[in-house]
Amino acid sequence: MSLRDQAGSSAASKQDESQIDLTPMLDVVFIMLIFFIVTSSFVKEPGVEIDKPGATTTEACPNGTIIFAVDDQGKIHYNKNPIKLERANFLAKAAKDETPRANIVIQADYDSPGYVVEELFDSLRSTFTSPPCLSTIDE
Amino acid sequence: MRKIAKQREEEGAEIDLTPMLDVVFIMLIFFIVVASFLKEAGLEINRPDDNQPQDPNDSVSIVVEIASDNQLWMENRRVDVRAVRANIQRLLAEDPEAPVTIKVAKGATTGIVADVADAAREAGQYNVSWATDKG
Repeated sequence: MSLRDQAGSSAASKQDESQIDLTPMLDVVFIMLIFFIVTSSFVKEPGVEIDKPGATTTEACPNGTIIFAVDDQGKIHYNKNPIKLERANFLAKAAKDETPRANIVIQADYDSPGYVVEELFDSLRSTFTSPPCLSTIDE
Repeated sequence: MRKIAKQREEEGAEIDLTPMLDVVFIMLIFFIVVASFLKEAGLEINRPDDNQPQDPNDSVSIVVEIASDNQLWMENRRVDVRAVRANIQRLLAEDPEAPVTIKVAKGATTGIVADVADAAREAGQYNVSWATDKG
């Protein structure tokens, strides 16, 4: 090692000290980014005010991110739009293809007609194997 | 002269990470904001297939009928909503494995079905089915 080289390396190390090494922070930030990308499930809100029935045995719906709403008039809503019953399964299938872990949640108004919810259950049966979740408020 | 050239080379070799860091941070903030920690909560209710042959165990299941006027019927008696839980508990004491089937007539509302399902779960039977009352 020549004298000049030594002098050069000491100068470089001084430069390094003055500059903060961002690599570890970048690693952490990337890991956080990947975590949030993977876990983010884009929930499509039905976009209607629903007076949900109360229940004392309310449990979390696992992965319940595909949400259909049935309002008190018996209209079905999905992704801020009123939809026809025939389209429900098509939309649910599309959402299921996007996030295969997703499960179905039906938000039904307390005064919504039961047969509409029944028909919705039946039309979505081909897409979902696990029992659907009827959204309630914990009392 | 030689020294200056060397310094330039050193600077050129080191990539400036700042713009990438900016982009990554913006993406991170976007995904944090978008990630909805919204957790839906509710009751899991089975919906047996009408076309499937009847389960042989169906005869022993506890049946709660909801008439089109939202009245509840158990064992051919009218039952108040508040009394459903006690009735289901009594029937569960005879057969703790018996599933609960709610037969819903066409005019009934969803709220009353949720009430009955909740009562059944309170009584200890989480296997609740929603069946259609064709009668």
